[in-house]
Amino acid sequence: MTAATVATNHVAPPRSFTTAVHHTLRLTQRSVLGRLRQPAALAPSFIFPLFFAALGSASFQRMSKLPDFPASSFLNYTAAGAIVQGVLFAATSSAGDLATDIEQGFFERLLVSPVTRTAIVIGRLGSAMVVAISQVFVFLGIFLAFGARIETGVVGFIGLTVSGALLALAMSGLMSGIAIRSGSPEVVQGSFPMVFALLFLSSSFFPRQYMTGWYKTVASWNPMSHVVEGMQGFMNQPLDVDQFLRAWLIPLGIATISIMFGLRALSNRLAAQ
Amino acid sequence: MNTSLVNDTSRSSVVDGHGGRPLSVSGALVRRTLLRVRRMPAAFVPSIVMPVFQLIAFSGAFGAAVRLAGVKNAMDWYVPLNAVQGASFGAMGVSFGLINDMQTGFFDRLLMAPTKRWALIVGPMAGSIARAALPVALVIVIGFLGGMNVPGGPLAIFYVAVAATGIALVASAFALGLTYRMRNMGAATLTQFAIFFTIFLSTSQVPLSNMAGWLHAVARVNPMTNVLRLARQGLLGDITWNDTWGGLLAIAVMLFVSCWFALSGLKSLEK
Amino acid sequence: MTSAPIIAHGLVRHFGSGDNTVRAVDGVDLQVNQGEIFGFLGPNGAGKSTTVRVLTTLLKPSAGSATVAGFDVATQADQVRRSIGVALQDAAIDPLMTGRELLDLQSVLYGIPKTRARERGEELLERVGLTAAADRRVGTYSGGMRRRLDLALSLVHEPSVLFLDEPTTGLDPMSRLTLWEEVRRLNREGTTVLLTTQYLEEADQLADRIAIIDHGKIVREGVPRDLKSAVGAPTLLIDVDSTHAESARSVLARFGDLRPTSEGTLGVGLAQGAEAVASVIRSLDEAGVHVRHLELNEPSLDDVFAEATGYRLEGAETKSDAPAAGARRGPR
Repeated sequence: MTAATVATNHVAPPRSFTTAVHHTLRLTQRSVLGRLRQPAALAPSFIFPLFFAALGSASFQRMSKLPDFPASSFLNYTAAGAIVQGVLFAATSSAGDLATDIEQGFFERLLVSPVTRTAIVIGRLGSAMVVAISQVFVFLGIFLAFGARIETGVVGFIGLTVSGALLALAMSGLMSGIAIRSGSPEVVQGSFPMVFALLFLSSSFFPRQYMTGWYKTVASWNPMSHVVEGMQGFMNQPLDVDQFLRAWLIPLGIATISIMFGLRALSNRLAAQ
Repeated sequence: MNTSLVNDTSRSSVVDGHGGRPLSVSGALVRRTLLRVRRMPAAFVPSIVMPVFQLIAFSGAFGAAVRLAGVKNAMDWYVPLNAVQGASFGAMGVSFGLINDMQTGFFDRLLMAPTKRWALIVGPMAGSIARAALPVALVIVIGFLGGMNVPGGPLAIFYVAVAATGIALVASAFALGLTYRMRNMGAATLTQFAIFFTIFLSTSQVPLSNMAGWLHAVARVNPMTNVLRLARQGLLGDITWNDTWGGLLAIAVMLFVSCWFALSGLKSLEK
Repeated sequence: MTSAPIIAHGLVRHFGSGDNTVRAVDGVDLQVNQGEIFGFLGPNGAGKSTTVRVLTTLLKPSAGSATVAGFDVATQADQVRRSIGVALQDAAIDPLMTGRELLDLQSVLYGIPKTRARERGEELLERVGLTAAADRRVGTYSGGMRRRLDLALSLVHEPSVLFLDEPTTGLDPMSRLTLWEEVRRLNREGTTVLLTTQYLEEADQLADRIAIIDHGKIVREGVPRDLKSAVGAPTLLIDVDSTHAESARSVLARFGDLRPTSEGTLGVGLAQGAEAVASVIRSLDEAGVHVRHLELNEPSLDDVFAEATGYRLEGAETKSDAPAAGARRGPR
């Protein structure tokens, strides 16, 4: 039995709510700083969505002239997809940091300290939300500068921001669970194909009504299609309760399940030590 | 100091006058590549899965856009793209393999071999063709399963293979040149970025005529556009010299430049 | 063409530029004669490996010149490569390949015809005791087996000059002795060997002549026995309480030159020889110095090293002021 294990079993973590909040905020702060200090790891989650949005706008602009196209321009259509893409990439890469913490022993250092256990996971999720909100601001700022419009105005802007944050919470919870279970950055990296599949087999890049066959069926079952379509609603349609239901409630539901998965993984790891 | 005078080279009796024959050395390096793939298949899987996944995703998601541009079946448009892209993934393997050899010191063993320096470059480049063969073949097979049209006949598939082989060679030579200079994992990432942007800033998604503004300007001068035209011609219609020579020239020029980049990078290691 | 197998004149190799320039090899003059084992002794970062990398054509010299097997390392690299065998630090071997596959590859690299390569491979595997393990992946080999395979690989083309860069670093004592025996055997068969080492015992046991390198410069060169006798006096080492260290030092200074030692120990080269020990103890006693431990050492290579560099190699910290040769190409 290691020294870390002994301490884990005998040091009772403080349980007060304010302490837990304080620990969570400090760990969120550490995690955000950690992300900012690795610009090379964070950059792809900004560069690639913007690149794909630019590429799509230049390639598929003609499509937006079709009478049933769900947006006034392809840029307006693709904005929501770019946010979703950026958030998913960033959340996955953030979970990679957590796995690295476990691999390099920082996680054990946290465990031997009297820090609130849930704060270790929630702090990481908090940082994913902070990064997601900044992504929404940066992406929308750039898209608006290039002529995009948010049809639902300020309410839509808030709707998109909250949706991005909730999606980050959902994805980060899932990926953190994988990171804690495996303790291996390679395994987290290996989950990237799942993220690709979630994105590409949805209406993130192209409207569902133009898809055909089995691909359309899969995209219709993919919850990501509905999240992104809710967000596209904020960008392109008049305000509607359906937009909130799809863009907020679906990620919130997934987040609830994925956080439970993350905390369960943590508790299993603690029990195994 | 007492100097002993000797006939110093007389004992190297098993080495023939030419040292390692370059083509034999390259061949041995190709065999080593295949051996490594066979013994570490997990590292090879993504380079097979990704082109296949992208073929399915692109043709499923953007199929309507290319059909609007007059393409009969989305596979006709995306099989050549993903064959070329799949072939270029081999370059990542070349870069990772070289970095690994540099870190373990195995590369020093190769550098100390009395053979032509170009043999050390041709080996990994040829190895990348071997690595590309399976993903490219798989993409073509899935294309057929997805109803890909081949109005150009067998020559159409030949040109897809030519384009894929050309890009595998160009990308791996570029990866070698970059890795010789950077000597760390950053080279593999940069190689990936360079290949990614070169491919996507061409006619990867839609024909030139459908593009707007800046992308049209970039894609028009991007040599990858010519390579994709060469690869696609037999799937979209008849094969013509007009659609062929530009791609062959683009491959030749890119190959010349990337080989020079690789060779000068290798020589810089000994400086 | 006739000459000593290894000759270097004013060899310089620096890394970086401007204020960041590090002279890893700083004017090395060297001559290794036919049929000898030459030991290159120094701590990590002293410039041993960089010198070897220049002599084996992996790096070009920044200044000076060197010939190996009669060929210039800068302008006749190909001929040098055909004449030398090299086993670099950390046995550079692909763990996914088997011993036999690596020998085959090495034979191709040196242009050895297939049938001859097969015979030679079997010979070498038997010689280094790896016949039974020849078809196993190298990743499953022990450290000693890897080094032996590395040695076999370096001998595939029957080189006239063999470079061994720290051949026994990290090996257990048994594997070290096995490798030493093999090096001696090769040398008896006529191979000239240049080996770098940071182990005094290795240099003492194996080398006919040694050069001590420090901060890129050769600070001593010669036959180990001559170098040791040149240091002269035996060294008396004493341990005293730290409160008595100053008075002990002044007593010792009366009997000879104070010598560099490890922390907590005082050393003096006894000018009068071992006979002076009794007088030293008496004087220390009269000065009220309580001696906890006393040791008399005949001159060793470590004394030679200490006399030449001002510090001892045994227990020396790894120095990082000069880059190891492989530093430019990633961790080693």
